[in-house]
Formats: sequence, structure tokens, C-alpha cells
Amino acid sequence: MTATASATPAAPLGTAGPAASLARHRTTLLLTGAAVLLVLGSVLVGHGAWPASLTVDLDGPLGDVSDWIIDNRDTHPLFLYFFGHLSNAVVLSVRGVYLVLLAAGWAGVTAAAGLIAWRVAGLRLAVTAVVAFLVCAVLGMWVPTMQTLALMVIAVLASVGLGAVLGLAAGLSDRVFRVLRPVLDTMQVMPAFAYLLPVVLVFGIGVPAAVLATVVYAAPPMARLTALGLRDADAGVMEAAASLGATGRQRLFTARLPLARRELLLGLNQTIMMALSMAVIASVIGAGGLGDRVYQALASVDVGAALAAGIPIVLLAVVLDRVTAAAGHRLGAAPRPGSARLGWAVAAAGTVVAAVVARTVASTGWPDGWTADITRPVNTAVGWMTDHLYSGVPVVGGTADWAGRFTTWVLDPVRDALQWLPWWAVLLLIAVLALLIGTWRTMLTAVLAMAAIGVLDVWDPALDTLSQVLAGVAVTLVAGFAVGIAASRSSRVEALLRPVLDVFQTMPQFVYLIPVVALFGVGRAPAVAAAVIYALPAVVRITTQGMNGVDPVTMESSRSLGATGFQQLLKVQLPLARPALLLAVNQGVVLVLAVVVIGGLVGGGSLGYSAVFGLAQGDLATGLVAGAAIVLLGLMLDRVTQPTRRRSGKGA
Amino acid sequence: MNTPPHVFSVRDLWKVFGPKADRVPGDAELGALDAAELRARTGCTAAVRDVSFDVRKGEVFVVMGLSGSGKSTLVRCLTRLIEPTSGEVTMDGEDVLAMNAGRLRELRRHRASMVFQHFGLLPHRSVLDNVAYGLEIQGMGRAERRERAAGVIAKVGLDGLESRRPGQLSGGQQQRVGLARALAVDPEVLLFDEPFSALDPLIRRDMQEEVVRLHREEGRTMVFITHDLNEALKLGDRIALMRDGRIVQLGTPEEIVGSPADDYVRDFVRDVPREQVVTVRAAMRPADSAESVSGPALAPDATVSEAIEAVVRTGETARVVEGGRCLGVVDHACLLGVVAGVPAVKEAV
Amino acid sequence: MARTRTPVVALASAAALVAVAGCGAADMTRQASPFANARGAKTVTLSVQSWVGAQANVAVAEYLLEHELGYRVDTVQIDEVPAWDALSQGRVDAILEDWGHPDQEARYVRDKKTIRSGGELGVTGHIGWFVPTYFAKQHPDVTDWRNLDTYADSFRTAESGGKGQLLDGSPSYVTNDKALVKNLGLDYQVVFSGSEAAQITQIKQFAKEKKPFLTYWYKPQWLFEQVPMTEVKLPAYKEGCDAEPEKVACAYPHTPLKKYLNARFAGAGGRAATFLKNFSWGTEDQNKVALMIADQKMSPQDAAKEWVDANEKKWRAWIPE
Repeated sequence: MTATASATPAAPLGTAGPAASLARHRTTLLLTGAAVLLVLGSVLVGHGAWPASLTVDLDGPLGDVSDWIIDNRDTHPLFLYFFGHLSNAVVLSVRGVYLVLLAAGWAGVTAAAGLIAWRVAGLRLAVTAVVAFLVCAVLGMWVPTMQTLALMVIAVLASVGLGAVLGLAAGLSDRVFRVLRPVLDTMQVMPAFAYLLPVVLVFGIGVPAAVLATVVYAAPPMARLTALGLRDADAGVMEAAASLGATGRQRLFTARLPLARRELLLGLNQTIMMALSMAVIASVIGAGGLGDRVYQALASVDVGAALAAGIPIVLLAVVLDRVTAAAGHRLGAAPRPGSARLGWAVAAAGTVVAAVVARTVASTGWPDGWTADITRPVNTAVGWMTDHLYSGVPVVGGTADWAGRFTTWVLDPVRDALQWLPWWAVLLLIAVLALLIGTWRTMLTAVLAMAAIGVLDVWDPALDTLSQVLAGVAVTLVAGFAVGIAASRSSRVEALLRPVLDVFQTMPQFVYLIPVVALFGVGRAPAVAAAVIYALPAVVRITTQGMNGVDPVTMESSRSLGATGFQQLLKVQLPLARPALLLAVNQGVVLVLAVVVIGGLVGGGSLGYSAVFGLAQGDLATGLVAGAAIVLLGLMLDRVTQPTRRRSGKGA
Repeated sequence: MNTPPHVFSVRDLWKVFGPKADRVPGDAELGALDAAELRARTGCTAAVRDVSFDVRKGEVFVVMGLSGSGKSTLVRCLTRLIEPTSGEVTMDGEDVLAMNAGRLRELRRHRASMVFQHFGLLPHRSVLDNVAYGLEIQGMGRAERRERAAGVIAKVGLDGLESRRPGQLSGGQQQRVGLARALAVDPEVLLFDEPFSALDPLIRRDMQEEVVRLHREEGRTMVFITHDLNEALKLGDRIALMRDGRIVQLGTPEEIVGSPADDYVRDFVRDVPREQVVTVRAAMRPADSAESVSGPALAPDATVSEAIEAVVRTGETARVVEGGRCLGVVDHACLLGVVAGVPAVKEAV
Repeated sequence: MARTRTPVVALASAAALVAVAGCGAADMTRQASPFANARGAKTVTLSVQSWVGAQANVAVAEYLLEHELGYRVDTVQIDEVPAWDALSQGRVDAILEDWGHPDQEARYVRDKKTIRSGGELGVTGHIGWFVPTYFAKQHPDVTDWRNLDTYADSFRTAESGGKGQLLDGSPSYVTNDKALVKNLGLDYQVVFSGSEAAQITQIKQFAKEKKPFLTYWYKPQWLFEQVPMTEVKLPAYKEGCDAEPEKVACAYPHTPLKKYLNARFAGAGGRAATFLKNFSWGTEDQNKVALMIADQKMSPQDAAKEWVDANEKKWRAWIPE
């Protein structure tokens, strides 16, 4: 979820004189139209929530499907010959990797990680990798880390394979691309939570379901970037290859694929990061490993234990991210002296030696005496925080007081207002907003998605979730723009911020939940708070990039005209960074929704709660309807905030 | 005259882009429309219109025109990188348009190689492997192709840069790699698509001289596309001048400059230093008896500027001599007439 | 070219999948965890539910299985209902604490016979509505449901709007509270905290400030040791009064908690299966361990060790010959 920003650059909006005047015209037209419809609607349709006559009750049929699956799972050929094998294949391969990792022992795995990082990304990252793995071991999390790693390896391989096949098809065939692209774009913005229910329905709780959910979640960026990379291959090079008489296969393997290496590696990077974040969330459906430790710790309000499992996740994320990113940066650089093959041979030999030495000297398991327990000190610190910051702090009030005020003054009015609005007015509002920012097509999608929510009979909970999203987005944007602008104007602030943002962007969403509960109590306010913390880094980053991306010549010319710093910001930077800011809004909305939904675990209620409830009670009808509503809400929010993208002329 | 055999022979070639493009070439009425009208009527653009020419073995055949004149499309039609809409293309008497995919690949692999304006190099490969790329596609073994490539690299003056990546080279060096890649497969014809227009003027001149040198040494047939008249005049044995998809004049540089076919060409060549293009064969007048024995001797294809130098140096009328026979003479008046662009002087004498 | 390649690739990967998986039918009742039985040890996979009492059961069983019987134990956190499904598929070998799921029992134990009962845990569970004892002492009449409406104001929070708040917990727990509030005509709003963790945090916060609150809670639960709570009397439970979820208007029953084993494991699980069938302890024992885990933040292993060291007589009886 976190990495999507860099992959979706927004083209600048039309700024020419006539276009602008047309746009102004359009706004007036839109508002007039909306007003007319408002009057018509209130006369003809009347007030109220989504009418019951327009809903479809899916509980019955979905419940039947769920029952049918459970009753026939042991006998039906579809399961015996397809899903069963799929599930067994997953179990078998995860187990294989897990056994290899255990056999290599902590020394072997750490050495392998360090040496691979050294070959791919250089010495500094090699050190980082080694330290990261050792910290995982010191925290007593070696075995869960290996479980998560084994699951990740299989999930990433499958995602990359699936993504590459889809991407290849879409990259080489216009028709496939036209069909696939909107699907992939949409999957990219879906909250992770929504993916869990369908796989559980088929596979039941366990590792196969977790791996498959992860694959479905992590394959789209690979497919998307593969397709884009293949399609964007330098036409001149491709023509040169053709002019030399290359066959289709030769053109693909010697030119088109190598030319897309940067995109392929970026795809790999995003896939790995998304797989990791999903592997953690999938602990809810039995993924095991580090995510499960976090989940178990959350169940007993044990922030320390949650952190002990959360830190390895973050370290794993940082190492994987940096190494794959560094591999991308190194492309096109001069080949290093010395044979690459020799280097890899050294790396492989080093791994084997480390594993064997450690095995003969000690056992393959991490020695018990070398672990450090951070649980207690962390819990003491958290306890102190709750004791002293929760309420009754003079002047500013405690965090619980803030949460209460936020709920009463912001969340409640927004929710009440949304639920008070007649259903058709909500649709109208969405249509107008979508038209103001996007196109007819985005408007249509958004309105249809919202209407579908009504048809599913989850109108009120959806509006409740929506109110939390809106409040969360508002806070995120205010804070994010402020910090982002500050960072773009001071390189020192940016330097300070960068590592913080990096870490925050790779943190599992789960870990945010417990401290916010400790600080803000239970309810919608902490859910929104967790969402804000989660979405903030992306918004800050996009804002900073957008502001820094403003043409320095323009800045210089405005300075030469004697503009003050503030004038520059207001008159030059902000307007020019508009596309980036719109993208930040879009990303903010998508990320806030993802966590607000998970907020169902801490009293966020509404759709997220229904999804959790569906999982927890095995009531898949409720869960699936809620999941579908989450998807639709995500679709609607994404489309409403999606700035018009000018498509490039060539190709599709 | 003993004409060498034709390498390429092009007849009635059309390339029309757009919906239902193939109805345009056959339709006399549509074919007569200009670009804007055609577009309005059919939504089509005719990049190449009814073009016919021959490329002789061993010559440098230049196609010249401004951007949008259809010259780049034309050269791509020769090896069907762009599929022609209608017409006939033969190479060494073999119908190119009738070739199946395999035969066409053979043509591209062994008989005609192309050098591109934007080089089209593979950024992830070293210079050596880029040059060897064509051989790799032919299926040649690694050691052999690298050896061959190394030889070609030396020929184009890139020694010592074999392991660099294209991104680390200057534009001129990159185009040398492109040239070497085309040469490495030892093709019968080299096709150049505006190869030097992305380069700095000084480097461009070096590269042009490189081409001249290669042609002199190997005598390979070349088809050269350019929008630069000076480049065309400098390199071309014959020049086809294109405008709006048609060839408006085809001839030697001297014919183009000396006798433009229409106002467009005349306008085009107005600023050309004629004395460097026109030969004394075209500038001379019949000699009288005294003149035919004294004065500096010049070959008939010496340029007027060379004649001027000889005349100025000796102060005498220069003789045009071929095989010991005096064909005619050039004096001050003849030569100045060429420089001034007034052909009447010659006829007046 | 492109058009023909895609199906080819798809076919090839499908073929590879079949090849990897073998060609026969897959057995959907043998779906062990990939992490089980690693490195030669016999492994027992136990389902551990999210509440601490269940963690205490598992911690002690795990400790004894590993130290006395030489097994390796994997634990998986699964919610109650999905755990039944996992149990039937063999992903989990045993559930040690089930609060009564008649539907699931009928489906898996009676009809499909993939799960077998493992006897009683020895602990009796009870769900109810509770108020903090400090509040009940000041207002003794609050413990009768008929008087709850008069206290609705005291229990109001930002989340409950204008009504009193009834704090509910994890979505995975058995609850009739929404129906109860409706059918008893109470001026209350059920607020789901979403997880037990969140609910406990909330209760502790209330207790720290001695604020009044009304919560769904259950016994045995270690939190009573820290925050003494008094149950509110609801209309008495009668057999079958909770048959129709929509119409419930009575208290929750007292449920003897039960253990369930995967049928294949129960038959072929050797000493581990016998041990788990024998495993049975009291409310007090469970609370002791739970408190060590949840409140003293001891690791479950350490807590189990402490209990095992002090209660050898009790657990000796569970170890099969």
C-alpha cells in the first residue's frame, strides 16, 4: 500500500487560458445542475437513508455458499483436484523453504543475507542486513522470523510469477492491457483487509489462505509495472532490434525485457513490500510467524511483546526494501571490476562455511542466553505514558480528553450529517465532486460504487466509516502538508524526517493500534488516530517531492522579481505542485481507509467491525458483504479524488 | 553507358497511414489531393506517394527532404520495418514485399543494416556486446561474434571503449557504435536514417568524413537519409529530393544544384555554394585551338572551385582533359557564371 | 505472437501445478501447518484463542508436552468458530477451551465425525453484564437490570451518543447484547471495542479514574483480580430461552468449558492425545496462570513453569503411562 505513490505520477492538469476558462465554466454548470437536481430530488424522492426496497439481502445465499463449501470440501472434485492441490502445494513449498532456513541456522541465514546484500547493493547494506537479522535473533524472534520469511519467499515468488505472466500478456497485447489495467489500478487501492474473506471462504483459516491472500494482494504491482515497462520500451531500440532481423522471441528477451529492467525491479520491490505488509495482516487468518506474535500480543494488551515482534518486521522491511531499491539504482552503472560470477561463488561459499561452522561449534538455533527481553521496559514506559498523559493533564488536557472531544465535535457531527443527508443527495454530492476533479467516467464509477453499497444494505455503516475516513483525511492532510512544506523548505528537516518516514511506511498497520488504544482509549477516535499516523508519511513524502519538483528556474525568476519566501510558496510552489498535492490527497484517502477499516479491532465499528466479525464468527455472509462494501467505498473514494490523468498518445 | 546492376528497385511505392489506407493509392482522385485535403476527406496521411527509383550497386544514394516529407518512412519501407501500402520493392531482383517472415529476417540479418538517428543502442550492454548484437541475433557463437565485433570497433575508431556502456559515451561515440553494429554483419547495403542530425556540427563533420572514408575503402552501397542539404551534396552520388511524400527531383548533386527541376528545388538550393558542387564538365565551353594546348589541365569531374583555384594561380584559361583529349575550357567568365548562378553566360559564348 | 503465448504460459503453469501436487485427489482433512513437525520432532498444534484464560491453558499444556512428553508445540491464534473448521481440517490438533457452539458441534462431531470431544476442562464459564464494585457499593440497586435506565446518564460516553454505554468486546465472543438491550427496552447503546485487548484497556482506564461503566464480561477472567466487578442480574436463564438470537431476553447460561480434538489426532495422537484428554484443572488454577501472563507480563512459558513447579500433584495425574 505504501509504495504506490511513486508508481503513479500524475500528469499536470491543463493550464492553458481557454482550458481554464472552460473549467470555470464547467464548475458553474455543474453547480447549477446539482442545485436543480437537489430541488427536483427533494420534491420527487423525499428524505431518508437508502430505501429498503432497493436493497438485496445476500445473507441467505452467501450463508448457503459458505455452508455448501464446508459440507462439500472433503468430497467435491473441485476441492479434491484443484483447491486441495493448490493448498498442498503451498504448504509443501512453504515447508520446504522453512526447513532450509532452519537447517542453515541463524549463522547461515545471516551470512547469506549479508552476502546477497553485499553482491546486490554494496557493503553498507550488507552490514545493515547482518545487524537486522542478528537483532531479530536477539529479540528472541528467530523462529517466527523464519516462518514469516518462508511464507514471504513463496508468496513473493508466486506473486512475481503471476505478476510477470499477467504483465507480459498486458505488455504485449493491447487488448489484454485494456482489460487488465483498470483492474490492476483498482486492486492497488483496495484495503488489505478486504482480501482476507474470500480466500478464507475457500481455503479455511491457515497458511494456504494467508499465502494466497498475500499473492492476490502483492501481484498487481508486479503485473502493472511489468506491463508498463514493456510498453514503454524505447521504440528506437526496438526498431533497431527489428532492423537486425530479430525474431519476436529475440526482441522480447534481448531487448524488450532488459529495457524494462528498472520497472521490473521496482515491481519486485513493491511486491515484496506489499507481501510483507499482507503477511502480517494475514495473521488474522492463520499466517503464523511474526504477524501472529503481534496479533497474540495485541490480544493481551502487551505493547512490549507486540513491539518485540514488530521490530523484526520493520527490520525485514527496511532490509528488503533497501536491497531491492539499491539493485535498481545500480542498473546502467559501469560493471564492477572482477567477474560477477566469482563474487557470487564467494557469497555462496561464505554462506555454506558460516552455516557449517556455526553448526559444528554450536547448534543451529539461536542460543537462549543471547536473547534480550524488551517487553518489560517497553511496557513500563507505556504504562507511564498512560498514567501521566491519559487525562487530567493541566491546561492541554489528557489524550483521552482529546479523543472524547474529537469524537463529539468532529466525528459525531460529520457522521450525523452524512446519515441525515438523503441518499440521493449523497450520490449527487459524490457525482459533483468526482466531476470537479475527474472525468465523466470516474464520476460514473464512483456513483455506481456508492449505489452498490446501498443495494448491499450497508448504507449506514458505510457512511459511518466514511465519516471516519473524512475526518482522518482532513487531519492527515493538514498535518501532512504542513510537515511536507516544512521539509521541502529546509533540507535539515528533510534529512531528519527521511529515516523516520522510511520506518513508518514499512511498519505493519497492526502495531499502530495498541499505542493508540493506550493513549486514546477505545472507539472511533483511536481508529482515526492510527489511520492518520499510517497515512501521514506518504502524504508528507509526496508533498515534499511535489514541492521540490517545482522547476528551479521558475523559483529563481520569482525570486528575481522580489517575491518573499511566503509569496513564493503561495504564488509559485503551491500552484505548480498542485498535481502532487492532488496525488497526496488521493493516497491519503486510500491509506486512511485501509487503517480505519482495521480500526474495527479497536472500536472503530461500522464496516471494519463487520469484516472482523465475519472472520471471527465464521459468519462469512456478514464479512463478505462488509468486505465488498469496503472495496466499493475504496473504489468510490479513489475515483472521487483521482485527478484526470492525461494519457500518453502512443499505444493504447 | 554501362550502368551497374540495381541493388534496390522501387516502383510506384505508396505508404498511407490511417483508416482503410489501401483505397488511396489506387484512386486517382484521392491521390491528387494535397495532404490537408486528403486528411479531411479520408482521415489518412500519405507519407510516401507514388515513389519510384533505383539504387545502383556501390553508390551512395541520398534521400533528402524536410521533416515530414516522408523520407524516413521511405527508407523503412525498403526492409519493411514499415509495411508499404502498395507498390513494388525489389532487392537484387527479389520481390521484398512477397517475402515471408523468415526470408525477410534473412534480408535484415545479412543484406541490409540500418543506422538510426537516435542510435537505438541497448543501454544494459557494453559497447562490444552492442556491436555484436546483430551477430548474436544471427545465432553466431559468443567467442566468434565478439572477435568479429572487436575488429569492427577498431575500424570505426572506438578502441579502448569496448567495455563501456552506451550511457557513458558521447553522442558521436554512440553513433560510431551504431555504425559498427550495422557494419559488423557485413551487409550488402547500409541504410542511414538521419544518423548525424542529433550530433554537434563538428562531430557531424567528422562522422561524415568517416562515412566517406568507409565508402571509399569498401565501396559498399549506402542509402542515406538526411534533411541537411550540405550533407546530401557532400555524400551523395545521387540525390532524391522529397517533398510531401513525392520525389520532386532525382539526380546528381550537380544536376540538382545546376538545374533545379522546379521552384521548390531552386529555392532549396539557392544558398548552396555552387562552385563546390558544379563540375567543370558542366561549366566548360568549347575550346578554340590556342586554348586547347596551354593552361592548367583539369579532370572533367573537378569542381568549379578547384578550377577557380587553378585559373587564379596560373592566370590562364584551364583545360578540361579526359584521356589526353581536351574536352573544353573554363575561363573567368564561365566560372563566375557558375558562382553567380547565371547559366546564360555559358550559352552566350 | 503475443496472443498465442499467453494461453501457453497459463497452460504450462497449470501443468506445473498439477505436477507439483501429484495427480490424485487431495485429502482436505489432512491440512497440517507447514511449520509443524519441523526437524524430526513430533509436533502438536494447539489453537489458542485471544483471551488470556485460553492462553493459560495452552501455556501449561505446551510446557508439559514439551518438558514431560518430549513433543514440540506450535500454537496458532484462531477465533472460536474458525477454529472448529481448522480443527476438522487437521490444521489444529486440539482446542482446549470451547464456550459452547452447538451448531459446530452438530456439524463436525455428529455429522462429519472429523472432531471428537476431549472431555471437560474443569472450568465453568459464565458471561454477564458487570459494573465495577466501587460503583455497585455506592449504588447497590444498579445490580438489578430494571434499575439500569436510571443510571444510563452515568454510563454515557462520547461513543454511545445520548444513551448509556454497554461496552462489548471482541466480535469473536458469544454475545446477545444487542438483542437484550432491545428486548429489555433499555436506554443503552452497545459499543463494540473490537477486541478484548481494547476492552481491557478501556476497563482499566475507567477503573483508574473510578468512573462508572457497564460492560459485557465473563468469568473466569483474571481482570477481576485487578478491577473487582459485580454482576448485574438479568432475567434468569432458563433452558432454551436463548434459542432464537433475535428474541433473547434472559441472562447467559453457566457453561462447563470443553475440549475438542481432531478425530484423527484423538485416535493416533499417542501420549499427547491422551494427555490432552486428561488435562483438567480448576478456575483458580487458570486464573493464577492468566494473571501472571496478563498482569505481571510474564512470558506464558515462565508462567506455566511457575505453576507446574508448584502443582506437581495435579499434573502428574494427567501424564499417561
